[in-house]
Amino acid sequence: MNLLHYTPGSSFLHRLNPITKLALAFFYGVACILCDSVLGEVGFILLMLAISAAAGLGARALRLTRTLAILGLFMFVLQLLFVRDGSPLLVIGNLCVFTSGGLKSALLLSLRVIATMLPLMMLFAITQMNDLCNALVKQAHLPYRYAFIVTTAFRFVPLFTTEFREIEDAQRARGVEFETKNLIKKIQLAAPLCVPLLVSSLKKVDASAISAEMRGFSRRNRTSGFKEYPLGARDALAMAFVAVLIGISAIFL
Amino acid sequence: MIEINDVTFNYKNSAEPALKNLSLSIREGEFVGIIGTSGAGKTTLTFLLNGIIPHEFQGDFYGSVRVNGLDTVDNPPEAFCLTVGEVFQDIDSQMVASVVEDEILFGLENFGVPHDEIEQKLQKVLRELGIENLRTREIASLSGGQKQKVAIASILALEPRLIVLDEPTGELDPQSSREIYELLRRLNREKGITIVVVEQKIMLLCEYVSRLVVFHKGELVLDSLPRDVVSHTKLLKELGINLPRVSELAGRLMADGLYAGQTPLTVEEARAMVEEVLIRGRDGKI
Repeated sequence: MNLLHYTPGSSFLHRLNPITKLALAFFYGVACILCDSVLGEVGFILLMLAISAAAGLGARALRLTRTLAILGLFMFVLQLLFVRDGSPLLVIGNLCVFTSGGLKSALLLSLRVIATMLPLMMLFAITQMNDLCNALVKQAHLPYRYAFIVTTAFRFVPLFTTEFREIEDAQRARGVEFETKNLIKKIQLAAPLCVPLLVSSLKKVDASAISAEMRGFSRRNRTSGFKEYPLGARDALAMAFVAVLIGISAIFL
Repeated sequence: MIEINDVTFNYKNSAEPALKNLSLSIREGEFVGIIGTSGAGKTTLTFLLNGIIPHEFQGDFYGSVRVNGLDTVDNPPEAFCLTVGEVFQDIDSQMVASVVEDEILFGLENFGVPHDEIEQKLQKVLRELGIENLRTREIASLSGGQKQKVAIASILALEPRLIVLDEPTGELDPQSSREIYELLRRLNREKGITIVVVEQKIMLLCEYVSRLVVFHKGELVLDSLPRDVVSHTKLLKELGINLPRVSELAGRLMADGLYAGQTPLTVEEARAMVEEVLIRGRDGKI
């Protein structure tokens, strides 16, 4: 199951205007960045998990958190080893491995990364890319050309994955062993597959462009979109909520 | 409605022309099947019908193509895309949206159909293709046959007079292939839409089309009623085109001087032919 896949639903979050959802995810991230306390960041992560669970996406949010935790761990180790503030905490021989300042900053940064990314990732679970782009074209006056690039990119990801699997299978049928634990070996085996993948992708993109052109792509303008994306009380409420979060984060945390 | 006059087209950087001295006219209301081995120029032909060639592909173009009297060289493909709709070979890459209704809306929105008519047109085309239940489905989750219907729906929504399909059943099972052809027949008969379809499955073509055109290495070899075309058993075999088994049987019977009637196209007709041969054999007439 793709972690960025849209999950249909009719919760409060699902029914928000796509632009509100985007703004919400963005400003939630801002609140997380403004926050300077480890507990605060934990709170933001928990709050996001609770909000997701309320929209019926608790399991998805947990899985995303786990995936983001890998990124967090990476940041944690880097910060721990490179930030040298405060008093030494672990000293081996003459070498100070990490300090109290390093530990605090590592914890804060890694949690902040998770807290900031989580809402942005959840955005994909509750928003159809098409809706988001159409709304951005209609209300934020984004040129359609750019919106189309974004939706097409997202649409092509699963197609390319399938394509890659097919090429891989074709290689496997000819005796290439992809089932190796060695990461470097794996990359070495996969690298030559990029050329056929690139070639077939370019062909697909070309076909896609012609198909769009033949259905009047170049005639489209801001008002062409049929679906309307009105802003309502629900959206105002959601924005007020995130404004309060930013306020709390900036003043108290 | 389409006049192709002595067209030769050579893709850039290709040694052999994809089409050679092709002249072909397609009349309103026809249901034309195009068949040929790969590299015969079938797909190139579909690109000729709406100006994709010469506008989207580079190469040397000789001759002329007229769609309802308009020359495709002098007018951009846009001028033809409301008359000639094309369903391309690769189902996945011709989609522009991820949800069925957005896919069908795309063309309607672009060509500025008034918004109060859009909903009605959308429902109409979904109903015509019997895919009302797919309206809010993700295209990625559909079967090959369903995707093909969505592709046809998104073209049909623009109400073209001619629909070109490039191997619409290439990735479909026999049952869904037949469904697609039943649908095309209905569009052809009830709405008078001209259909041009490129296909590998000759049996299906013989059953549905009113005219069969055979291509080989960029040249038009045969252009006639399906029954006439399949009676050229020897020629078709030389070209590497699979014959319907019933016509192959007829060909053998004819070669042996056992049968001299018309070439059968369906299993029923073949049965009648075999019975006739057997009865004549029993009566000692052979």
